[in-house]
Amino acid sequence: MKFFLSIPLSLFFFSTLLCRGSSYELETIPFPEGVPPEVGALGFSPSGKLFVALRRSDVLVAEPGEDPADFSWKLFASGLHNACGIEVISDKEIVISQMPELTRIRDTDGDSTADLYESVAAPWGMSGNYHETNHLVPDGKGGWFVAVGTASHNGPVFYNVRGEYSKVGRRGRNFSAASWKGWILHIDKEGEATPWASGFRMHNGILLDSKGRLWAGDNQGDWKGTTPLYHVERGNFYGHVSSLIWDPEWDEGVDPLELPVEDIDEMRTPAAVLLPHDEMNRSAAEPVEIPEGDDFGPFGGQLLVPDNNGRRITRVMLENVGGVYQGACAQFLDDESLQLGNNRLVFSPDRKELYVGQTSRGWGQIAEGLQRVRFTGEVPFDVKMMSLTKEGFRLVFTSELNDASSELAQFKLRRYRYRDNGEYGSPKHDVSEIEISNLKQIDTKTLELMVPKLEGGGWVYELGIEPFKDHRGLEIRTGLICYTINRLR
Amino acid sequence: MTKPVAAFLLLACLLSAITHSIGEERTPFVTLNNLPMGSLEKPFLLRTYFPDPGLGREVLANHDLGFRARKYSPGKGDVKGFVDPIPGIPAAIGVNFGPNLSICWDTTECRLLYAWSGGFLDMTNYWGKPESGRRKGFGYIPELVGEIFYLSRGSHPLAIFSQYTDDIVPRYRGYRLENGVPEFSYALGDVIVHVKIEPTDKPMSFRKSYRIEGADGFDYYETGYAFTRTQEEGEQFSVLIEGRPIVSPGSEGEPSFSTDKPNREWGESLYTTLGCIACHSLDGSRGHGPSFAGLYRAERSIAGMDETILADKSYLIESITDPTAKVVEGFPPGYMPPYPIEKNQIESLILFLQTLGNE
Repeated sequence: MKFFLSIPLSLFFFSTLLCRGSSYELETIPFPEGVPPEVGALGFSPSGKLFVALRRSDVLVAEPGEDPADFSWKLFASGLHNACGIEVISDKEIVISQMPELTRIRDTDGDSTADLYESVAAPWGMSGNYHETNHLVPDGKGGWFVAVGTASHNGPVFYNVRGEYSKVGRRGRNFSAASWKGWILHIDKEGEATPWASGFRMHNGILLDSKGRLWAGDNQGDWKGTTPLYHVERGNFYGHVSSLIWDPEWDEGVDPLELPVEDIDEMRTPAAVLLPHDEMNRSAAEPVEIPEGDDFGPFGGQLLVPDNNGRRITRVMLENVGGVYQGACAQFLDDESLQLGNNRLVFSPDRKELYVGQTSRGWGQIAEGLQRVRFTGEVPFDVKMMSLTKEGFRLVFTSELNDASSELAQFKLRRYRYRDNGEYGSPKHDVSEIEISNLKQIDTKTLELMVPKLEGGGWVYELGIEPFKDHRGLEIRTGLICYTINRLR
Repeated sequence: MTKPVAAFLLLACLLSAITHSIGEERTPFVTLNNLPMGSLEKPFLLRTYFPDPGLGREVLANHDLGFRARKYSPGKGDVKGFVDPIPGIPAAIGVNFGPNLSICWDTTECRLLYAWSGGFLDMTNYWGKPESGRRKGFGYIPELVGEIFYLSRGSHPLAIFSQYTDDIVPRYRGYRLENGVPEFSYALGDVIVHVKIEPTDKPMSFRKSYRIEGADGFDYYETGYAFTRTQEEGEQFSVLIEGRPIVSPGSEGEPSFSTDKPNREWGESLYTTLGCIACHSLDGSRGHGPSFAGLYRAERSIAGMDETILADKSYLIESITDPTAKVVEGFPPGYMPPYPIEKNQIESLILFLQTLGNE
């Protein structure tokens, strides 16, 4: 075992730019000519067909083949208003969350095109604001969780509103003028809706993982200092205040924007993991769980979170400390070949391919399309897991370290935190360098960093790693990992 | 404008009668074309935001009201000034049956809100231009192409005997497509209503066919429009409704051109109001019909004819009034309906076409 002292003195910026290297391949999949590839939702049927909901109207379906240019796209359904969530039940049945409702769409006559569009539930209102898109995730019991997006001050409301209108909810940057904006609702298979959790700004992507845990991303902005990933539990409030006015317990007449920030801080359930804005992720879209096993490389069981405003996909390593989820994030892909607007992720049924759907029309430059990522079989050299210990952090690597690696490696640590309030996003506050007093090699793949001064309560500990090589001579892919400490061990 | 009357009939694909056609083999997908349309054989349905052409509160009785709000600045919070709501319908469904009929059926009120002819929707405000893809900031509601000939008024047209004292909120259930035509379904309390709306052979008219389950009795009312009830059979009946052009609130006031004799400005206005714009571009791009750019006095290849034909005045007149007579090569026949509009209107359109090149 080797020990050495690190000497982190100046503020340093490690490159997060990650090339695919030789472990992952990226391909672009074209749609039929003239079709605007604005991907609102992606899903696979049990038989392996890929369903793609496009935001203008159509749901396309194809059987993926080897050649990305050779998908034979067919029209399954059309006429939908900004469909941003999908559950594919079979080749003949899907459920879509579109602007006005949750819709069950079926092909009942067997001609491979839908003919029945049933409204399952429409518990949320519509102010008429363009920004109010919705995402769904099946609850595993025939029902769904639906993330009901807020409106933006960059657009108006209508004189005639669907559902209830609130003048108080209309205030603010992203707002909840119509019922249930900024909530996650549970909708059972009969269509009965129950409010589940509030405080979301634009949770454009929720996930129920294989262990039954519900996760939601959000977008940096008002009441979101940086992009967060939340572990969502019933009854919790996650910080964006406008949604509070739809809480049945909320005191009518109380404007949540007028409450002291300290009161909001008290009420808020913090993020499990904070994704620093510039370094990691500007706008979390649909999270996905990497299938267990090594079909897609060494990160099985971890989460991937696409950046809707960047050419990158962030990897999240979670752990439970004292009953609370927290963990680290690092880039999985940060690559010029990845298109902008990364919005939806889905794994192919054989777990070997990750499909990435892109859209961001109306937000900056055109960024749209469909790509897929495939693991080549060459295990990348990377930090597989960063976890908190009583004395510091443990890093488990994907492959065996070079004997000399811990001498070569340099780890530098700093910490900062964000403030959530009505302002758009937050700078890093209280930035300070943190001393790593010792480095221990535990086994051929494991190092431990001794950090004398650790503190919980939402601090981000940012670990910079200078490039070094594993025993195969492969250079490490990750230059930066950010661990959010909610609780100490 | 007093005259266009007969004109409102058909519309949409005017002139290019030359064409009566729709574009190439049609793609089944919605594309970057911001003027999507269907046909009698293959209606096109789209859920989107719809304009509110002046519907009354009694029609939108189940909508809540949006209000003026303080302006908001991301840096400063509330700032000076206010933002007004805009008129729009949030959750309606549009169906286009080709140039003769489009309908806007609302899933909140569960009723037909309005019907128009001439084209369907111009989605540019909402979908953005193909190159930029950006919606219009605050005015992103799609625009109707053509002229409204039916605007719903009064209480819900369907009255259920046992419910007349009840405060029943209709609940939308969905639709089933039968040969591409949606049969909408909604619940009024325990009563289930199915309704299908289709074109007839008469201009500015449509048929509503109802199937009703579980009512002890019902009646049908229509405020301000003549209608005929037909095909009564137990819990099924149809209503034939005849409309007339509506002067929309935005188009009031004197037009900036004369309608006493043919003139180019009138023709340019007709290009939009009759709905030619839905199929015929002015910039040479291919739509459901051939472009008007450079059309006048151009040589046209006509389906089934060996020789080309000069698109002169007589050809244009024929193409407007009898579009199936000569269909331009590469466009399917029968798409454009005849436009029996008055002579001065035809002349005005031709004057407009003459300004589009080739002269």
